[in-house]
Amino acid sequence: MSSTMEKTIVREGDNKTLLMDQGSLPTKQLKQDFKMVTFSLGGKDYGIDIMKVKEIAKFNQFTYVPNTPPFVRGVYNLRGEIISIIDLRIFFHLPVEKRKDGVENGLILRLEDYIIGIIVDSIDKVVGIASEDIQPPHPIFGDINVKYISGVVEYNGTLYLILDVEKLFGKEQTAQKAPSLETLEVSLGAKPSVGVSPRESFPTGQTEKDFIRETLKTFKSFHVTPLNERWLDERFEQWRSERGKQGRDLQIKSAEEADEFLQTFYSPYSDAVWPEEIAESFLELIQELSGRVFSVWNPGCGKGYETYSVTALFLKKFPDAVVKVWAMDNDLLAISTAPNLLFQPETIPSYLLPYTVKGKQGVGITTQLKDRIFFEYHDILHVNVVPECDLIVARDLLSFLSPADQAKVLDEFYDKLKPKGILILGKNEEPIDGIKWVRIPNKHFSAFRKNIE
Amino acid sequence: MKTKMDFPAINDRRPEGLKEDGTPYRVLIVDDSMFVTKQIGQILTSEGFEIAGIASDGQEAIDKYKELYPNVDLVTMDITMPKMDGVTALEKIMEFDKNAKVVMISALGKQDLVKKSLLLGAKNYIVKPLDRKKVLERIVMSLKK
Amino acid sequence: MRVEYINPFVESAYSVLKEVLNCQVSRGELYLKSTCTPVLGVAALVGLAGDVEGRILFDMSKDTAIKVASVMNGEELKELDDLGKATITELANMITAQAVTKLHDLGFKFDLTPPAIFTGDNMEVTTAEVEALIVPMIIPYGKVEINVAIRERI
Repeated sequence: MSSTMEKTIVREGDNKTLLMDQGSLPTKQLKQDFKMVTFSLGGKDYGIDIMKVKEIAKFNQFTYVPNTPPFVRGVYNLRGEIISIIDLRIFFHLPVEKRKDGVENGLILRLEDYIIGIIVDSIDKVVGIASEDIQPPHPIFGDINVKYISGVVEYNGTLYLILDVEKLFGKEQTAQKAPSLETLEVSLGAKPSVGVSPRESFPTGQTEKDFIRETLKTFKSFHVTPLNERWLDERFEQWRSERGKQGRDLQIKSAEEADEFLQTFYSPYSDAVWPEEIAESFLELIQELSGRVFSVWNPGCGKGYETYSVTALFLKKFPDAVVKVWAMDNDLLAISTAPNLLFQPETIPSYLLPYTVKGKQGVGITTQLKDRIFFEYHDILHVNVVPECDLIVARDLLSFLSPADQAKVLDEFYDKLKPKGILILGKNEEPIDGIKWVRIPNKHFSAFRKNIE
Repeated sequence: MKTKMDFPAINDRRPEGLKEDGTPYRVLIVDDSMFVTKQIGQILTSEGFEIAGIASDGQEAIDKYKELYPNVDLVTMDITMPKMDGVTALEKIMEFDKNAKVVMISALGKQDLVKKSLLLGAKNYIVKPLDRKKVLERIVMSLKK
Repeated sequence: MRVEYINPFVESAYSVLKEVLNCQVSRGELYLKSTCTPVLGVAALVGLAGDVEGRILFDMSKDTAIKVASVMNGEELKELDDLGKATITELANMITAQAVTKLHDLGFKFDLTPPAIFTGDNMEVTTAEVEALIVPMIIPYGKVEINVAIRERI
C-alpha cells in the first residue's frame, strides 16, 4: 500500500526540510515517526495521519444522493469503487467558497470499516514529525469541536490540528450529525427562501421536532424556549397529524411553511384594534391597578393598534388619572406610521370612539389620546429608558429574541414593573422563570404578576 | 464729482458696498465660526464693503461696537455663540445706540427668535446656509432703513 | 427615539448637504445603535437641550472632512486646519439648527448648544444611557454618519 501512496502523493516533506528547520533540536531529526498529510480548512491548517490516507484526489464529478445529510456531497467512482464524499467545510459549519471550475480538492481516507472521501479547501504537503511533539488539543485551537482533534503539533512555524478521522467518521457518528440549517445556509451561501432542505430521515419524533425548532429559528427568528415550549409541543403534534393526512413532509422547507406553522402562535388582534370582547377582558385585568398616574410600556407595538386600544381602555377605566404610554418597535416602517394611524369607521369599538376624528383620508385619533403616547423607534436590547411601569404589554415579542436575550429582557421587565404591576405576554407565551411570576387568570390574555409574598 | 452714476452702463454699476460718496460701508461681523466670518467677509468685500472688525461672542460684539462707534454702519449677528448669545448682544447694542443697524444671520430659523429679534430692533434676519445674492440684498435693504 | 423626531433630522441633513455641497446626496438605511460610538476620524458634536436632552454627532473620515471643507470654502485645503475644522463645525451647526427649527414648528421645543469638533483615531464618544439613531448620508466625498441620541426629560 505504501508504494501506491507514494506515487499519488503530490509532495513529500522530508528529512531535508526538517534539517533546515532552525527551531528543532538535533534529536528530533531522527525520530520522525509520524507522517501526516496537511491541508487547509476554513483558513486553518490540519493534518491527518498518513496511514489513514489512501490518496489525494481532485473531485470533479459527484453523483448527488438524496436523503443524505447536507455534508454528504454525493458519491464518487474511484476506479470502480463507489465511495461517499463528505465536504468537511459543511460538516464543520465553515464557509465554503464555490470553485469556478467545479473541481474540489480532497483526500481519500481508508478508515477501519470503509473508504471515504473528504473535501477540503486545499492540500498542502506531507509532513513528518516526531510523535512526542504532538500536544493534546485545547478547545481554543479550533473552529471545530475539540473531540475531533487528536492533537496539535507545530511544524516549521505553523500549527497543525491533527484530525481524528475515526472519531469523525466512525459508523455511529455519521447517523447523528445534523448541522443546524442556518449554518448550512451560511456555508452554502443559499438564502432561506430557496427551500434548502436537509432531507434527512430521522428515526425519532424528537429529532424531527428539533429540526422544526431549527427551521423556525432560521426562517422566522423564532426561538423555542420554556417561554413558548408548551405551545410548540401541542402544535407539533397537530402539525404532524395534519401533514400526515395531507401526505406532506413534516419538515418546514421555506419561510411560507414556517409562517403556516406559526399561524396558531400569534396573539389575537396583534395588528388590529381590540374588539369589545377582548376589551372587556383587558378591563378586568387592569381594574386591580390603583393610583393617579399610570405608566405603560408597550414594546413591540408594531403599527400601534394595540397601543391605541390599551390607552383608550385605560382612560375608560380611570377617567381622572394621568396615563402615559411608551410604545416602541424596531420596525421603522411600522412605527413611523403609528402616530398617523387611520381606522376604518366600521371597525371602531365604542371605547375608542370618543378619541376619533374624521379626516380627509379616513378616521384618525385625536391629539387628546395621542398626546399620552410616545411612539419610539427603539431596539429593546439597547438601554430602555422608561419609568417604573404599572403595565407592560409585550405580546409575541420575546419569542423572536434569542434565548439569552429573552431572559435578559424578561429580567428587565421584572425590574421595571411596579410591585403590583402586570405583565402581558403573547397568548402562547409564559415567563421562562416560572417562580418569579404568577399567572393572573384571564380569558383572553396571558397575564402575570410578580411573585412577591 | 463722479459721473459714473449718471450714465449707468450694463457692466458698470456701483458696488453695493460703497456709499454715495464712494467710501465703503463699514461692517462688524459677529460669529463664533471662522468659516462663517470668512464667508460673510468674502461676500461683503467682493461688493466693496469694508470689514471694520470681527467678534466671536456677544460680549466681544458689544465691546467692539462701542470701540468702533460711530464708524460702524452695520453689524451682522450670529445667534448661537458662547458666553453671550446674539439676541442678548443685539439688545445691548440697541440700548447703546438706538440707530444701530443689526442684521441677524443664524442657522436657526425659529419663528419666535425671528420675531423677538425684529422686535428688539434688528433690521433683518437671514437664515443659513448663506447665499451671496440673498445676503447682499438683505444687507443693502437694511442699510437703507 | 421618538418617531416624530426622525424626519426633521433626515430632511435637514439632505437639504443642507445638497445646498452647501451642490452634489449628489443619498441616504443609507436608518438603524439603531447602542451608543459606544467609534469615530471615523472627525466628529462634530452639537448638543441638544430643552424638552429633551441629547446630542448629534456628525461622523466622517478625515479625508471626507477635508474634501467637504474644501468645497465649502471654494478652495482646496491640504489638511484639516482651523479653517477646515470651523467649516465642518458650521456644517453640523446648520443641519442641526434646521432640524431644530422644523421640530419647533411641530411643537417640540428644542435648543442647541454651540458645536464642538473632535479629531483623532480610535476615539469613542459615549453618551451614558441612550440609544442612537444612525442616518448614513452618502456624498461623492465619502460617507457622513449622522448619529442622533435624544432622550425625553421624563
